[in-house]
Amino acid sequence: MKVLQWLTICVLLMPLSLRAAGPSLPLESANNDIQDLDSLKRGAALFTDHCMACHSVKYMRYNRIAADLGWTNEEVVEVMSYGQDRPVDHVMTRMPDGVAMNVFGTKVPDLSLMARLKGTDYIYSFLRGYEYDPETKSWDNRLLEGTAMPHVLESMERHGSEEAFAQAARDISNFLEYTGEPAKLQRLDLGWKVMLFLLLLIVVTYLLKKEYWRDIKH
Amino acid sequence: MASTQQTKQNSLLAWLDARYPLVSTWNEHVAQYYAPKNFNFWYFFGSLALLVLVNQFVTGIWLTMSYKPSAAEAFSSVEYIMRDVEWGWLIRYMHSTGASAFFIVIYLHMTRALLYGSYKEPRELVWLLGMLIFVVLMAEAFMGYMLPWGQMSYWGAQVIISLFGAIPVVGPDLATWIRGDFIISDATLNRFFALHVIALPLVLLILVFMHIVALHKVGSNNPDGVEIKKLKDAQGLPKDGIPFHPYYTVKDSFGAAVFMLFFAFVVFYMPTGGGFFIEPPNFEPANPLKTPDHIAPVWYFTPFYAVLRAIPDKFLGVLAMGAAIAVLFAMPWLDRCKVRSIRYRGLSYKVLLTIFLISFVVLGWLGTQPASPELTKLARIFTATYFLFFIILPFTSATEKTKPVPERVT
Repeated sequence: MKVLQWLTICVLLMPLSLRAAGPSLPLESANNDIQDLDSLKRGAALFTDHCMACHSVKYMRYNRIAADLGWTNEEVVEVMSYGQDRPVDHVMTRMPDGVAMNVFGTKVPDLSLMARLKGTDYIYSFLRGYEYDPETKSWDNRLLEGTAMPHVLESMERHGSEEAFAQAARDISNFLEYTGEPAKLQRLDLGWKVMLFLLLLIVVTYLLKKEYWRDIKH
Repeated sequence: MASTQQTKQNSLLAWLDARYPLVSTWNEHVAQYYAPKNFNFWYFFGSLALLVLVNQFVTGIWLTMSYKPSAAEAFSSVEYIMRDVEWGWLIRYMHSTGASAFFIVIYLHMTRALLYGSYKEPRELVWLLGMLIFVVLMAEAFMGYMLPWGQMSYWGAQVIISLFGAIPVVGPDLATWIRGDFIISDATLNRFFALHVIALPLVLLILVFMHIVALHKVGSNNPDGVEIKKLKDAQGLPKDGIPFHPYYTVKDSFGAAVFMLFFAFVVFYMPTGGGFFIEPPNFEPANPLKTPDHIAPVWYFTPFYAVLRAIPDKFLGVLAMGAAIAVLFAMPWLDRCKVRSIRYRGLSYKVLLTIFLISFVVLGWLGTQPASPELTKLARIFTATYFLFFIILPFTSATEKTKPVPERVT
């Protein structure tokens, strides 16, 4: 019967390892760390300069970003909206409604949940996946051919160092992982404390059970 | 001083007891409910199911305080809960993880019944009520999964409801009637919300109550399958029985603490359950014009979904899927062996049950995978072995070579 119990536990844990495999396109690993607040701050600034002209992260508010990343309310609106928005505002794109349809012929997706949908590796690889075609004299992306999105980190890739380019893509991916689930910072911080408490509860309830069951003969 | 307080307490109890069967109910179901003393690992899952049920009720109530059941607002209201509601993320993850935990616990609880013959006379009704709970739970989970209004919510519901459309003659009208529209829409979401938060929880609660009442009428089975009521001491109490309280309340508290440790690990460190508890496409709002590449139901439906896909004809597939669940209701009558526990049963049942459990797990895995010719072939084989268990069992169980069952529990 013990064997059956272990088998059950193995079967229960098995699927957790199976679905980790992502889409078939080879993705580079973003290697980002959501608890690296400096990276998140750089990511927020890069997102402001390179993405917000078209994209929004509409489920985020500036003051939440400030509270989580360690900025004041004044600082966050200074960095992310040049002092134009209020701290309670949602992080919207600076592009007026309908312009995207005229310019790109498509809607620009909101990026709040992109990291949860596709993963940070996808975002990282996408930002680094642009290839120049000398014939058409244009950039295309190997992950999404014919994409309407321009190569926003082009100047970095051309003029900056390889590390700086990679770090910028990593910081943006990291920031988008954060916007996908800002509570992740709290849950990573709280989880081990809850589990430590439960371990203690397991010990106490085990001893209690043992004490009560002393008089039961087997 | 202490004694006057005691008298006051006693008089309050007497006052209540004269008007409500408080003491007798407590005694009958808890303090003087005699359970076999030899419960093992498998016997934690009944009380754990109750724990998860309470978790779903409490977190569910708090979610409804901020959730908006409309196609226009549902998705963003969930993100509002995840970001702007105090502790909203924790409540939501406890609810979404609770849904999967419920099925893990229930599947293990049912496996226990199959191992130790807990469905056999006189516990047939306990089993039937349990099966009803399982079916209602599936409906409850299905409707709950639609509420976040993500892509998988939408297209999963689209696939499942379209199954009703496969029924001859009345099918298409029935599907329209269920949806309240010609496609899955705001009307569907709204009614599913009503069913998910009021109708089905009420039915569940009543069924769980009846399940426990029926169990306490006949008494609990045990890993030896011995009837403890047969051997009683001078006071008329079962020799192998111990009062549920305090012995099993303390033991189940320990089980609950261990369970909560696993539960907390998922809630805090892998709330999407590796893409099984919350599927990644569900982080994109429902879009009726864009079908996802691969529509997979949540993991707890996948064994039955694999059966559905294994059958080439849609209507026959629906029938097979229904039969895969319905046939379990008949277990008390399909299994004709008088010996309950697998410990004393013959080789045939051990082999059959192992094949059945393997078939169930493999079908579950197949249901998560995109269909391919090889996998479909595999799904057909395991669908066959799944049903073979129920077809062969009545014959082998009638003439099974069993071992002698001990008088007392071991």
